[in-house]
Amino acid sequence: MTATTVRRPPVAAGGPPRRRRGWRSGPVREQLAGYAFVGPAALLLGLFVLLPLAWALLISFQRTDGFGQGTWAGLENYGRLLGDAQFWRAAGNTVLFTALVTPLSMAMGLAVAVLLNSVLPARGVFRSVLILPMAISGVATALMGVLVFDENSGILDRLVRAAGLPDVPWQSGGAAAFASVVLVTLWWRVGFNMLIYLAGLQGISPVLYEQARLDGAGAWQQFRYVTVPLVGPSSFFLLVMNVIYSFQVFDVVFVMTGGGPRDATSVLVTYAYETGFVTRDQGYAAAIGVVLLLVVLAFTAVQWRTSRTRDLVE
Amino acid sequence: MHLTRRQLLAATGAGSAAALLSSCSGFTQQDDTEPGGSGGPGTLTFTTWGTDAELAGFQSAITRFQDAGGGTVTLNAVPYEQMFTNIDAQIQAGNPPDVFRVPYYTFGGYAGAGQLLDLSGHLPADAADRFTPQAWAAVQSGGRPFGVPHHTDTSAILYNTALLQQAGITDVPTTVDDAWTWDELAAVAAQLRTSLPADRYPFAYNWQGNGVTRWLSWLFQADGRFLTDDLAGPAIDSDAGRAAVDFTKSFFANGWVPANNSIKSSTYAADTWYSQTAAMVWSGAFNIPDADSILDFEWGAAPAPVRARGGGDFGGNALVATKGADPELAAAFLDSLTGADSMKEFCEGASLLPTRADLAESGIEFQVRPELTPVFLGQASQVLPQDSAQVASPVMPGIISVLQDQLELAFVGGQSTADTVAGITAGIQAAVSR
Repeated sequence: MTATTVRRPPVAAGGPPRRRRGWRSGPVREQLAGYAFVGPAALLLGLFVLLPLAWALLISFQRTDGFGQGTWAGLENYGRLLGDAQFWRAAGNTVLFTALVTPLSMAMGLAVAVLLNSVLPARGVFRSVLILPMAISGVATALMGVLVFDENSGILDRLVRAAGLPDVPWQSGGAAAFASVVLVTLWWRVGFNMLIYLAGLQGISPVLYEQARLDGAGAWQQFRYVTVPLVGPSSFFLLVMNVIYSFQVFDVVFVMTGGGPRDATSVLVTYAYETGFVTRDQGYAAAIGVVLLLVVLAFTAVQWRTSRTRDLVE
Repeated sequence: MHLTRRQLLAATGAGSAAALLSSCSGFTQQDDTEPGGSGGPGTLTFTTWGTDAELAGFQSAITRFQDAGGGTVTLNAVPYEQMFTNIDAQIQAGNPPDVFRVPYYTFGGYAGAGQLLDLSGHLPADAADRFTPQAWAAVQSGGRPFGVPHHTDTSAILYNTALLQQAGITDVPTTVDDAWTWDELAAVAAQLRTSLPADRYPFAYNWQGNGVTRWLSWLFQADGRFLTDDLAGPAIDSDAGRAAVDFTKSFFANGWVPANNSIKSSTYAADTWYSQTAAMVWSGAFNIPDADSILDFEWGAAPAPVRARGGGDFGGNALVATKGADPELAAAFLDSLTGADSMKEFCEGASLLPTRADLAESGIEFQVRPELTPVFLGQASQVLPQDSAQVASPVMPGIISVLQDQLELAFVGGQSTADTVAGITAGIQAAVSR
């Protein structure tokens, strides 16, 4: 294939660079080609993401059941959020869920990736087994979770009983129910984290480890001072994605616990769904969604500005 | 073939544009089976969910309507989980189906929002007399009919014969006249609690999810109301309301139901009974075919208990038309679907109960376990028009959330009866004021 070199026009002394070529010239055509590539994605993004977002923002300032024209309510819906105990409970649960699932899924993903990046018999099989949950929908995953964690007839409590231990109230105890949701989410998400880390690990030159060993580094020191910094870009990507996924968690909670018992597993999206589609208070539900968006955007922006390893390469 | 980078870019860009344009054209193509309002003169679109038996009943009724020269009906069957998010989106987009199926507790939300066709003057003059009073009351909004009651369902008790016999309970009622009282039910539950091991329970109740409206059966049995006569305010702060909350709270405190039988549980009561974790379960007749095919133990049915009077949930579904539909054609279709032959065939096949007055007493016989038909027909007769009219209130969607939250707090959160009644009252007041 012929390499294309972009030649910059000479800059005239004391004046701006002269544009000597028309729209058919190389740089302009390159730009047009770039826009042609970006265009379809930008169009779809605008149509299916940005437009609904703007619409949701508009609805959040209205009092509406979703049918016909709503009435303008200004900031009333946002004011209601401040005094809504259920909203704050759901927000707290969402933050706790994110704080548990994000580091745990990343740590487990990295540990498994390191293991499966080494010389391990049948590692292809293990990789496939771990990635398999990614191919299953969240609802199907949660239904399997129900079968496992049903406190009357689930597999887990049967094993616990067989071992002579007291039953764990996976469905009727708040903490246990929350734990069951976290465990199922981890099972679902560790494979994805492992995959990204594995790709990152395979980009690290073995020479670096050899040099580290020659310098006297042990296994832990190689992991701490070579592996962890050099998978920085993967960690940054996974941190952002895990936080976004966690803030948006819905299907696993909706199917496994329905937000119960006593709102112990209620999260922002299940609360917004219940408010919008059961209670039909769609303006208020949109306000919850907008707050969720702002929180995720703020977190991503902070991460973007503070991460020192997001672009780190060898 | 040698490609320059520019040629590659141009070719890929052109390919992307072609793919985008072809995919966009898909947005406007209208498949014949897609819902989307009237498909043309003499044509109706009908969206519903349903079991195989229910869909077979609908298809048979549609064929009957079409053969009689009524018009063409396109049946669009969707999963229940998607049904109402789809319907809402279609209504918001101005493209709803002409006719759709809707639970009575959801009906009021659509009728109150002005999205349904007022059938006054389009249905036959004797339509009101065709249905039982409680069924006709369930499709009224502001005193006008916005749908037809297609079928109903109400909960009776399904019991595991062996587990009851092991506890010494052999005299189980079979008619509403000899139904257990609340006290007798409590005695039966206590007897079962003593007889059963710790990990099995006397019964399970089917109030999970939107089934929370079935809790209202206890309120009605205590002769209470949750809305005032004009449906404009809360009425649950009463002796009947407190008795209903108190009694149902005691199910958990006494260990009569499993701890995961709460309102927001993901485990349905029927599954708890199928697995023999519970000896009895409150269930609609629609579970009879499944129970008959999968259970390997002997089981029977008994009417729900009574207190001041009999009472039950007015479950089941109405059929409604949307505003864009041809009023005469839609009304003729709804009239045909609630004809005696169509309703009898539908209810017998799907194990559901008729809403026609001429079929309600003994006009049908379930195809599966026909001997249980009288138990459920008798139970349905216990629903009063004043009960079903409250469930059809336009603010019912908001009330469902209030009941779910407050009863969950009462049953597994230790909230007192007084606080629960006060919480439901405040929630209903907020819902009707919204």
